[in-house]
Amino acid sequence: MKITATQYAKSLYEVTREKSQSEIGVVTENFVKVLAKNRQAKLAVKIIKKFEELYNKENGIAEVEAISSRKLEADQIGQIEKFIKEKYSAREVLINNKIDENIKGGIILKIGDEIMDASVERQLRELKKSLVKL
Amino acid sequence: MSKDYIIEQLKKQIENFETKTQTEKVGTVLEVGDGVAKVSGLSDVMASEMLEFPNGIYGVALNLEEGQIGAMILGAFEGIKEGDQVKSTGKILSIPVGENMIGRVINPLGQAIDGKGEIVSDKFYPIEKIAPGVITRQSVNQPVQTGIKAIDAMIPVGRGQRELIIGDRQTGKTAIAIDAIINQKGQDMICIYVAIGQKESKIARIVAELEKKGAMEYTTIVLAGASDPAAFSFVAPYSGCALGEYFMDKGKDVLVIYDDLSKHAWAYRQISLILKRPPGREAYPGDVFYLHSRLLERSAKLNKDFGGGSITALPIIETQAGDVSAYIPTNVISITDGQIYLESDLFYKGIRPALNVGLSVSRVGSAAQTKAMKKVAGKLRLDLAQFRELEAFAQFGSDLDENTRRQIERGRRTVEILKQDQYAPMLMENQVAILYALTNGFLDDVAVEKIRTWEADFQKYINSSAKEVLTLIAEKKELTEDVVAKLEKVIKDFKEVYQNGV
Repeated sequence: MKITATQYAKSLYEVTREKSQSEIGVVTENFVKVLAKNRQAKLAVKIIKKFEELYNKENGIAEVEAISSRKLEADQIGQIEKFIKEKYSAREVLINNKIDENIKGGIILKIGDEIMDASVERQLRELKKSLVKL
Repeated sequence: MSKDYIIEQLKKQIENFETKTQTEKVGTVLEVGDGVAKVSGLSDVMASEMLEFPNGIYGVALNLEEGQIGAMILGAFEGIKEGDQVKSTGKILSIPVGENMIGRVINPLGQAIDGKGEIVSDKFYPIEKIAPGVITRQSVNQPVQTGIKAIDAMIPVGRGQRELIIGDRQTGKTAIAIDAIINQKGQDMICIYVAIGQKESKIARIVAELEKKGAMEYTTIVLAGASDPAAFSFVAPYSGCALGEYFMDKGKDVLVIYDDLSKHAWAYRQISLILKRPPGREAYPGDVFYLHSRLLERSAKLNKDFGGGSITALPIIETQAGDVSAYIPTNVISITDGQIYLESDLFYKGIRPALNVGLSVSRVGSAAQTKAMKKVAGKLRLDLAQFRELEAFAQFGSDLDENTRRQIERGRRTVEILKQDQYAPMLMENQVAILYALTNGFLDDVAVEKIRTWEADFQKYINSSAKEVLTLIAEKKELTEDVVAKLEKVIKDFKEVYQNGV
């Protein structure tokens, strides 16, 4: 059976859990060797991505991409953080603020494959749809 | 209307407009090709859930794999590109249903395509549904009058039955189905004609013909055209069936025609191969049998406790060069309750409908016939069977004993009587009358080549001068002695008038 990236990521997470930094160094080196031996080094990128997802999930870290038309103020970020913590019962929230002027105003939050679109652009689009229908 | 009023209205509309922000599950298109998209993300999508692509195009999740899903696209897939956002809807693929679908031409998603305006409906039925179970069903006991003498007499179709129409191209398969629809006028039936991968010109012709005969008043046409994506052809029969189920649940009788299931299998084969499902016999995927069995199993006759509605299915299969032992024909033959077998040889001989009576069967049989028809049909079958056995001798002509000769002559007349023009379905009482005349020897002294004109004149006569006999048969649905006596008198009267007149 072929070993998938998810399975690799899972085992990597398990062998590195609660280990000191020096131990992790050794374990990771061995992991890479196994990967090379199995001729699946090409999976590395996928494994890293899956590992990140897994690590965040296990440790209650929510990674949020916040798209806004202007740079977010500190108190706005704080509000978002609070909201996310409550909604996803996360312990830690990492906010990555991206600027996109096309959304005109409001905010779009992306967490994993979930999306919350509270942008002015979407509301205008909906308005247009409902006006066309009438 | 003043300008201010319009502006005021517009302001009001905009003021009342509210949007809600909600969490949506999204995925990203990884690749698109041939009407199928691979999408990453969408971690908790359901099997056969509806997906929304940009520009309001819908798709259906078919393959759920680790990290990605395979979805077929219901619509124009040209505009979809890699990286597009795909939203899940949380709904299993369903179509709007309602009374206002009757008389319309719709696509498999329930949208009108006849240019008569949008169909608004608040009821939705899922396209895939588990068929009614044993306790909800009842045995078939009521006929569907197709209006075709050969079928109503010898291969009766009952309400809730599944009767396959099979034959090569150009043998009149669709003609039988359309005649059956036309004949449902006033029979309290709702008809659904599902066109799968058909030429739009053919459908336009059918719609025009149905309109001319007033049959569109109780008919819906579900059309997946030849130029529509394969996904439409795949979904079309299920949509038609879902619409039928809506009417069945209301206690109505429904006739659904799937024209044709071989194209449906092709469409499914295409989608399956593109989704990289392993091909099996004739390159069809492993579940083609289930593809058709789950569709046809949804035709049923419900018992009184469940409303007493029914769905009768007339699936059509096109064979290649008369090969009924190919994969799809054998599958569908084994699923259905009988088949109407059409042959091109008979068609070219001028026997139309080109029914092969020997190979056609109805497993429900005479349970779905009125008593009157049962009485004349039994003899008819026997006459034809004997004729076919002796037909070979007929080639030699002369040295035959009286009995054999008579049987051959009767057979020839039977074949003539069973010929029927397209778009000319006949009422049950008229059928009984002519078949009674035939099986009781009233036609034996009419020349074979004159039989058809004789029949036409006889029908004209009985419709105008002896209407009461017909209504008697229609009401009693039985040939009691006094009905027989009256009928015989009418036939004798006509023969006298006819022979003296001509």
